Amino acid sequence: MRNALHWLPTAGVAVLVAAGAVAVPAIAGSDSGLPDRAPGEILELIAGGSDTAFSGTIDQSSELGLPELPTSGVGGGVRSSSSIVELLTASHTARVYSDGAGGQRVQVLDRLAERDVIRNGSDVWLYDSQENEAAHLTLPAHDRAPGSVPTPAELAQSFLDRIDSSTEVTVDSGDRVAGRDVYDLVLTPRSAETLIGDVTVSVDAETGLPLKVSVDPQGQEQDAFTLAFTDIDFGVPAPDVFAFTPPEGATVEEIGGGFGRSHYAYGMPDVVVTGSGWDTVVELPADVLGAADYEQRTLLEQLTTAVPEGRALQTTLVTVLLTSDGRALAGAVPLEALQAAAR
Amino acid sequence: MSQVETRARTLAFLGSEIAVLFRRRRTWAMLAALALVPVLIAIAVKLRPGAGRGPAFLAAISENGLFVAFTALTVSVPIFLPLTIGVVAGDTIAGEASLGTLRYLLVAPASRVRVLLVKYAGAAVFAVAAPLTVMITGLAVGAALFPIRPVTLLSGDTIDAGGLAVRAALLVAYVALSLLGLSAIGLFLSTLTTVPVGAMAATIVLAAASQILDSLPQLDWLHPWLFSHYWFGFGDFLRDPIVWDSFQDNALLQLGYVALFGAAAYGRFATKDILS
Repeated sequence: MRNALHWLPTAGVAVLVAAGAVAVPAIAGSDSGLPDRAPGEILELIAGGSDTAFSGTIDQSSELGLPELPTSGVGGGVRSSSSIVELLTASHTARVYSDGAGGQRVQVLDRLAERDVIRNGSDVWLYDSQENEAAHLTLPAHDRAPGSVPTPAELAQSFLDRIDSSTEVTVDSGDRVAGRDVYDLVLTPRSAETLIGDVTVSVDAETGLPLKVSVDPQGQEQDAFTLAFTDIDFGVPAPDVFAFTPPEGATVEEIGGGFGRSHYAYGMPDVVVTGSGWDTVVELPADVLGAADYEQRTLLEQLTTAVPEGRALQTTLVTVLLTSDGRALAGAVPLEALQAAAR
Repeated sequence: MSQVETRARTLAFLGSEIAVLFRRRRTWAMLAALALVPVLIAIAVKLRPGAGRGPAFLAAISENGLFVAFTALTVSVPIFLPLTIGVVAGDTIAGEASLGTLRYLLVAPASRVRVLLVKYAGAAVFAVAAPLTVMITGLAVGAALFPIRPVTLLSGDTIDAGGLAVRAALLVAYVALSLLGLSAIGLFLSTLTTVPVGAMAATIVLAAASQILDSLPQLDWLHPWLFSHYWFGFGDFLRDPIVWDSFQDNALLQLGYVALFGAAAYGRFATKDILS
């Protein structure tokens, strides 16, 4: 019996750890008691919060149903296609800073490496520490930075732009994100043709800053894509956070004006859009299969499956069809809809 | 015995423990082996600069010698440091038991708790000395063989010598902190046996097992609980501004391991019949 007493501290520590693991999430999930609000009021709240200064940590996780890609040797520089695929399919943590005006910074925190997007007024710098590559571009007036990991604010705006007759919008409250009370703006497509089940935007009840965006696929409860703050501080970040000078020895590339535009579909010629709302299919005259180099082709073979029209990339949210005659079709729709549009 | 006297005795005990640790040829051999890591890296890069991809920071060495230290630390964290910690922590109690000196320690008079605390403190001192050796040799060798420039951080910002000294100290502190959990496990295993090699090997195997489990994506629910999970988080001190998240998570995790295995070591050691 005396001997058993000496094991008490061990049992005590074990119980303490277990209690901590259970209790901490439970406290975080307590009720908030916010007043009810209409969807329109939430939109106004978001609009009013666009110049909020903050710094925080964002976690991104994707369950897109893609095969696991090796994350170690990705790299490939600030603009390569494989690093974009990696950003979308793997999980990431990023630090984000905004001074509420012309200064924004996103740091994607990789293991012993980092990718940065820094905006200071009209100057935008992209930096990849693994390749020691920097790229600079000058923004035309009133354009936004092409961020590699969009902030929740940017993502939310792009979803809110699509709110029209195609979408049912509801508001929930009671959730907490990063320790803040939020309103959940839930967007449910009225169409049954789309892969997207619903999109939830969690908006900070006080500042109107969107703190979390999650996308559920049709017929599944599990989030396919989430981008959420895990902690946030509403103080103005120090100005030197937004200052960037390419380090000595780095490869520096100057990207001509219009980079921001050419990477968005609307600036491209010959884009064929069929369908509307959530069922939209975009068709580009891009010969991805023919133009791929060896590294890209290996990646494509890993990601896509062969279909009569060419190769198809199927995820829980988005389908992409690359035809052998040099077109690329994409949409948040099942593969059959893309095949029909390709004919 | 008055309180002051007890404290003085404990301090003297701790002092002699650390003195014994650093008087041992084995300790110096291990520190020398650790110091060899940056030396070998620096010589390899000097002989064949730009030969393919390697661990993080390797490519930067030929342009800036100070990166030798960071590369060496990255290479040492998964294998060499746990190896040496396993030897020191696994030896703490079992080593005395196998030499037959444990009972003399206890008649000294020193309570069993005090013996455990002093032994653990000795292992912790080594956990600081080991990464410090890698860092200092790395900086020295790098400075001797390669040009030195202001260091470029992962965020692309550049820091001067003062900034580098602060970051280097933080890196050493982070790695030392990361090894405290493993040291506590070693201490506990060391109370289980009178064969020090057994405790050393078990500690080292656990360090390897923890890292293997951490690399399996199927077990991602388990990852935040593994003591090796944040070992590579020291990269966060090479960002600007410094990200403290992994330091906080790591500190909490290591504290948990120290508390749990420290208590288990006490439970075992206090009830053990000391026969040797």
